[in-house]
Formats: sequence, structure tokens, C-alpha cells
Amino acid sequence: MSNKTAGINRHRSFSLARVFAITTNTLTELTRLKVFYILLIFALLLIGSSVFMARLTFQQEFQILKDVSLGAMSIFTSLLAIIATARLIPQDIEDRTVYTILAKPVPRFEYIVGKLTGVLLLLSISMLVMSAMFLAVLYLREQTVLHETLRQMSAAPREQIDDALRAIRSSALNIDILPGIVIIYLKACLLAALTLFVSTFATTNIFTIVVMVVIYFIGHLQATAREYWLQEHSTGWMTRAFLALVALIFPDLQTFNLVDDIVVGAAIPLGLVAKTVVLGVFYTTIYTFLAAFVFYGKEL
Amino acid sequence: MSDAAVTVSGLTKVFPVPFHREPVIAVRNLDLRIEPGEVYGLLGPNGSGKSTTLKIILGLVSPTRGRTEIFGRDSSLVESREAVGFLPENPYFYKYLTGEETLRFFGKLCGLSGSRLRERADQLLELVGLTNVRSRRLSTYSKGMLQRIGLAQALIHEPKLVVLDEPTAGVDPAGSCDIRNLIVDLKRRGITVLLSSHLLAQAQEICDHVGILANGVLVREGRLEELIAIENRTELVLENASDALVDRINALATSSNAKLIARRRSTTTLERLFLDATNNPKEKS
Ligand SMILES: Nc1ncnc2c1ncn2[C@@H]1O[C@H](COP(=O)(O)OP(=O)(O)OP(=O)(O)O)[C@@H](O)[C@H]1O
Ligand SMILES: [Mg+2]
Repeated sequence: MSNKTAGINRHRSFSLARVFAITTNTLTELTRLKVFYILLIFALLLIGSSVFMARLTFQQEFQILKDVSLGAMSIFTSLLAIIATARLIPQDIEDRTVYTILAKPVPRFEYIVGKLTGVLLLLSISMLVMSAMFLAVLYLREQTVLHETLRQMSAAPREQIDDALRAIRSSALNIDILPGIVIIYLKACLLAALTLFVSTFATTNIFTIVVMVVIYFIGHLQATAREYWLQEHSTGWMTRAFLALVALIFPDLQTFNLVDDIVVGAAIPLGLVAKTVVLGVFYTTIYTFLAAFVFYGKEL
Repeated sequence: MSDAAVTVSGLTKVFPVPFHREPVIAVRNLDLRIEPGEVYGLLGPNGSGKSTTLKIILGLVSPTRGRTEIFGRDSSLVESREAVGFLPENPYFYKYLTGEETLRFFGKLCGLSGSRLRERADQLLELVGLTNVRSRRLSTYSKGMLQRIGLAQALIHEPKLVVLDEPTAGVDPAGSCDIRNLIVDLKRRGITVLLSSHLLAQAQEICDHVGILANGVLVREGRLEELIAIENRTELVLENASDALVDRINALATSSNAKLIARRRSTTTLERLFLDATNNPKEKS
């Protein structure tokens, strides 16, 4: 290969520029999906409407607001992760656009990674939009409650007012919301990667979505089932291997459900957050590799 | 290691058909060798295995038996695709991208970037005659326009080998004439072209070498001139020849043991007629 072709450097087995080209293209494709906007608007309406829910005390109000909003964010991103990812690769194969891409010096692994990061980018955009809405609503309600309290307590002594305001602040906006949001995002990433994996061997998009819905529910019940199983059976290596396999196919999604703690305003230990983050990243990576593995052997 | 542009040796591809006992044998024990710089035409009826062979050469489909190489690099290696540009049959691209964005996307996949990429995209849009629709989405392109953008993306990284699966399918006569000229130009620049077609008249005009596939078997192979030459015949085409002159030539031929077999008025081709008639000023602007 003596003569240089268009100044192209030696082929690299992994190139961020190529992955990035596929990522941005996938993001463009996904932002043209109507279902994305419908789901997003629906989630935003839900978050916004939690302002009008019945309230007795401000603690309850903030609890409901967080419960509804974080719940909406969790469901919306999970759904979006599954729906957006399921048709990504089958569509490319059906339209044969994948031929033109893979006929370029693009390793199949890069194609898979590029597609997935496109989805992850879409998920983070929607997560940012929803978090902004959620925090804005929470902030506005907090300000309103603070003003009302100040007005009602105008005659009370200084320390009493300060105590009341501090109580309001701590039950509204606090730093524990942040890990909650991150973990919801990671759960969506995990689901997207798993959906991508399933879609590499599924024959139809419906199959992928049905399988993912089943995995979603089983994943939430998995922890309970495992405890029950461990009570019944011995903890030999066979049982452990079996449980590990189950945990691979049905990730323990309950682990990613820290919303309940956040809602009651309980502080989430940093160790638990770190552990969950690592678990989320681990699952996402494993599923990406599995998807790439199946895709390598796939007849296009 | 060989210095051929493409080598195919002992290639067999069997497609298992679900719920059927009999699998489809798309290609049977195929051997090909395409030298650098030539235009090779893979001909054959529908379903004879042309596209399957090309896809295997591009590493998109894995062979059941045998191997294929591009400039000595096995098709299963991603690197082998650096030196080749591919136009699939009935190409279909992301319809939400414009023509220009499409070329930029594929250029990036080939490692191009910055001003180099912009230049190449401009050049190729010009080359395939899509400059005036460069910022329109592909969803508004006609079939022939898609074929042209497909050709442009195949050439974006200046490959040494271009593989075209039915390059003129769905393109109008002027367009297919353009594509033909383009292929001739590629050949002039030393680029190897491998194309499949069942339009024989077109293949005859541009191919140096042809292989004819039938049911996945290579039934004829060789240099086009040699394949279609009739050994003992020669053609003369005369302009402004009087009847007397033709008679004299005839007599001369008879006297040296040759025979004039046919004598007819030259005609233009329907294609020439079509091109002259439709080549109005609107096109040229
Ligand atoms: N993915 C596939 N699964 C099963 N059979 C296939 C597949 N792809 C091709 N075939 C079969 O292989 C044979 C060759 O197909 P191929 O597309 O290579 O033909 P072709 O020469 O390109 O025909 P055409 O001129 O119609 O494009 C056909 O019998 C076809 O049915
Ligand atoms: Mg074909």
C-alpha cells in the first residue's frame, strides 16, 4: 500500500471520530421520533400537575411532588430507553443502511457503541429537561411556602421563624435528589443496552419490546424471588451460578429504586450510591459487549 | 500475498432457508481474480448470485467456504475496507439527512474531517450532478438521485477499488451515460472497478473483463474483446462512400478470397437519439 490514499492515516481498530459520527447521526434519527416528544410532554405535564395535588402540610406537599416527579422520570426514561432502542438496529438492517456503513472501514463494535451512545445522549437530554422542570417546580413551591410561612409567623420570635424556614428548606430542595436522578438515568442506560442486545437477535421489534417489558417487571421482583429461593435451597455453587445467570438476564432493577428514600427525605449513604452507580455501569457495559458479540456473528 | 485488486477463491455460499429442507446455494465454488486498473463486469440473470458475491467481497456476508481478498487483505478484516468504496443495489440512506450531510457522514466514517472533508463533499456533489439539491433531504430525492448520492459516498475516500452493484439501475439514459463516463474516468485514473449488471449493452461498452454467473456458477470468464470477437470477421464503417466505391471494395474482397457479408446503412442508437432530444438547455445550466 505504497501510494497514500487521500491522506488517510493507518486504520485504527477503534476511532472515536467514527463512533461520534454514528452517535450524532443516531441522535438526529431519534429526535425525529414523535413518540419521544409525546412521552416527554406527558412526563412534563405530570411533573407540573403535581403542584395542584391535595396537600395538608408542606412536608406532604413536597413528598408528593418528589414522588410523582421522580416516578414520572423513572417510568418515562425506562419506556423511552426501550422504545427508542428496540427498532434502531433492525431498522438499519431492513433499510440496508447498515450495508453502506459497514462497507466503510467501521468495525461492528463501533457501530453498536455509536448506536447506544446516541440513545444515551437522547436519554440524558430528556433527563436534563425533566430535571429542570422538576427542580423549577420544587423551587417555586418552596418559595411560595416560605413566603406564606413568613407572613403567618410575622409575630413569632426570630429563632422560631428560622427553625420553620430551615425545616421547609430541608424537606424541599436538598442534595439527595441528585443521586436519585443519576440512578434513574443509569437504570435507563442499562435498559437501553439490554434492549440493544435483545434486538440483535430478535426477529421483530414487538418481540424485543415484549421481552423487555417482561424483563422490566421480573427485574423489579427479582430480589424478593431470590431471597425466597435462597430460603428453600442450599447455597451450593450450582445455586449461586444459577442465580448469577438469572441476575444477568434479569438485572435487579429494585436496586435502582432509591426514590422511596429520597421522597421521605432520608439521606442516601454515599456508599450505596457509589455501589449502585458501579452496578449500573457494569450492567450497561456487559450488555453492550454481548450485543456486539451477537452482531459480529450476524448475517446481514 | 497477491497483488490482485480482488481475489476470490473456492467461494461457496449456502443460505439455509427456514422451514425448508433444501437450502439455497447462491454461489458455487467461485474463483475470480481482478487485476488492478481494470473494469470487471459480473453479469448474470436475476438471482444468479452477483450481489451475494459482492457482499462477501465487502465482508458484509460471511462465506460458507472459500475466501475473498481485497489487495491481499482478507475481507473479514475491517482494514480491507479502507481501499474500497461500495454502492449497494437499490441504495437507501438516512432520509432525514441532506445530500451534503450524507456525504459528510460517510466521509467521517472513512476518517476524513475538516476542510478536506468539505472539499471532497463539494467535489463529489459536483461530479454526480447533485450540487443544486445538496441541501435537500434525501426523502425528497428520486431513485436516480439516490443512486447518484450512493455513487458519491462510495468515492468519498478516493478508494483504489470501487464495487458497484447495478450502478445504473433506475437512472435515466443521460444519468447512466454520466455514470458510464465516470467509470471510464475512474479507470483512466487507475482505479479498479468491479460492477454487476444485467444490462449487457452497457457492460459491453465499459468492461475490460467480464464473468458470467448462472445459478451461482461462473459459466464464462475472460477479456471482453476475446469473448465476443468473431475470429474470421472484420467490420469497416465508411462515411460518404459512393455505391461505386462499395462495389469496388466488394470486388477487391472477392478477388482475395474474402466475402462481403452485410451491407447496411449505419443507424444511430435509440440512446443517442434520446440523449440528443432531451439534452435541452435546462440541463446545461
Ligand atoms: N439473505 C438471504 N437468505 C436466503 N437466500 C438468499 C439471501 N440472499 C440471497 N439469497 C438467494 O441467493 C440467490 C442469489 O441472490 P443474489 O441477490 O446474489 O442475486 P443477484 O444475482 O444479485 O440477482 P439480481 O440481479 O436480482 O440482483 C438467490 O436465489 C436468492 O434468493
Ligand atoms: Mg443483485
